[in-house]
Amino acid sequence: MTGARARAYARIAALGLALVVALFPFWWMLVTSFKQPVDIFRGVSLLPQHPTNDNYSRLFSNYHMGSFLMNSLIVVTVAVAVSLVLGTLAAYALARFRLRFGLNESALVAALLVRTLPPILLVVPIYLTLSKTGLLNTRLGLIIVYAGLNTSFVIWMMQSFLEEIPRDIEEAAMVDGDSRLRALWRVVLPLAGPGLAATAIFSVITTYNDFLLALTVTSTPSAQTVPVGVSTLIGKIQIEWGPMAAAGVVGALPIMIFAVVVQRHFVRGLTMGAVK
Amino acid sequence: MALYPLIYGIRASFHAYRYGRDVGSAGFKNYDAVLHDHTFWTALGTTAKYVAFAVSIETLLGLGLALLVVNQLRFSRFIRVGLILPMTVAPVVVGVIWRLMYASDIGVVNPLFSSLGLGSPNVLANPGSAFIGVVAVDVWEWTPLLFLIILAGLQSLPQEPLEAARVDGAGPVRVFFDHTLPLLRPVLMVAVVLRLIDAVGTFDQIFVLTKGGPGTATQLISTYSYNTAFLFTQYGRAMAMVVALMVLVLLLTIAAIRFMRTAAMRTSS
Repeated sequence: MTGARARAYARIAALGLALVVALFPFWWMLVTSFKQPVDIFRGVSLLPQHPTNDNYSRLFSNYHMGSFLMNSLIVVTVAVAVSLVLGTLAAYALARFRLRFGLNESALVAALLVRTLPPILLVVPIYLTLSKTGLLNTRLGLIIVYAGLNTSFVIWMMQSFLEEIPRDIEEAAMVDGDSRLRALWRVVLPLAGPGLAATAIFSVITTYNDFLLALTVTSTPSAQTVPVGVSTLIGKIQIEWGPMAAAGVVGALPIMIFAVVVQRHFVRGLTMGAVK
Repeated sequence: MALYPLIYGIRASFHAYRYGRDVGSAGFKNYDAVLHDHTFWTALGTTAKYVAFAVSIETLLGLGLALLVVNQLRFSRFIRVGLILPMTVAPVVVGVIWRLMYASDIGVVNPLFSSLGLGSPNVLANPGSAFIGVVAVDVWEWTPLLFLIILAGLQSLPQEPLEAARVDGAGPVRVFFDHTLPLLRPVLMVAVVLRLIDAVGTFDQIFVLTKGGPGTATQLISTYSYNTAFLFTQYGRAMAMVVALMVLVLLLTIAAIRFMRTAAMRTSS
């Protein structure tokens, strides 16, 4: 019995250590963001000696954090909404019909391809295309690109959710006189609700977190998103640690909340439906 | 939307660009230049080293953590949420977090090392430690991914064969290697291949932490081709570089699709 007990303690100790390693760096960023400049340089202190929200107010007044947040909000909302509509319709078609020429298979493979290409490969062509069409450094340019890229993710996810819904249900609705689209809207989508929500939140997380693409196709605070804004704080000759930590907190917080909400569906989202 | 940039990119790799403008076809000149570029080979080697170290450490740690959590019902929910947070935030934010941790003047890592009597390494300033530093960040950020997927795999394993083995008197180690691991293989493969593919394209954290430096110690293909394209406007050459890399990744992708199919069939049946 003592052996089992010792093993139980060892297990708790190991998990505790893992949790500390995973979470402490967040705490350090949070603490630094509330410290005054002098205190930041005064050695390791796990609590701010003289708490201040100075870093945050400077972040918004001097470093354009307000417009970064606004850009992210607009771009992410519109792009995700568009890709959800397009992707869900495509996924429904793939889940319910056998298309000719093995199109089902190739559509899914093409969608997976986007996920597996090195991002830098997509970025250069996208940059060159946007510069030709005058969409560089605009929110519209970002929206179009993100909507397009995210649609393939929605297709994979929604296909795996829609396949779990029995056909009989919508067929019954169609016998009752609904058109297929109406049956999809009235019967299927409510059943796929949790899956749709998880897909939406996942899309929000990946779109909001994207850096490389936004870095290359935007250049001023009028279109730059939060991650790009955060990185501009580092580029300066002298690093402003306080505002940088505050920017990190602002950049991380909305996403962490979303992530906790969808954690039940996390595995499915990460493996594009392969593991449930 | 997926194929257009891809085709455009491959086409661009066969074109010459002067001051960022397309000045016509270049045949295989870009590829020739890339293959004779010493820095390209260094970056390719660093990328391979980075991916190999990061992914293997993450897999072992993720598997270990998942095994610790799987029978721990009491706090498992809380532990899960805590452990997955590093991978949810933007990689840029991860970069910021570790700049704050590693910084020689305001960080935590230096005081921690010197209090253990290990000197005070200025992690990101020296080539050797900078490489270890960025790999460590990758491990911190992405072990949760392996952990989560493997945990899901463990929880969906059929219990009967494991029970039967236990009844037959097999110890926990035997059960793990003879039964759990083979059953877990498809899921493990999905996790590793996914992570492998993503790791090859790592850019954001490197950009924020070291920009590929000091020297070329942390220069990956992604950061090198980014510089080639957007610092030196050599789009054709950058694309040739990435297409070469992509051929490698494509092979990984084919493997990924295979493994995901089998895994999908096993978990759904």
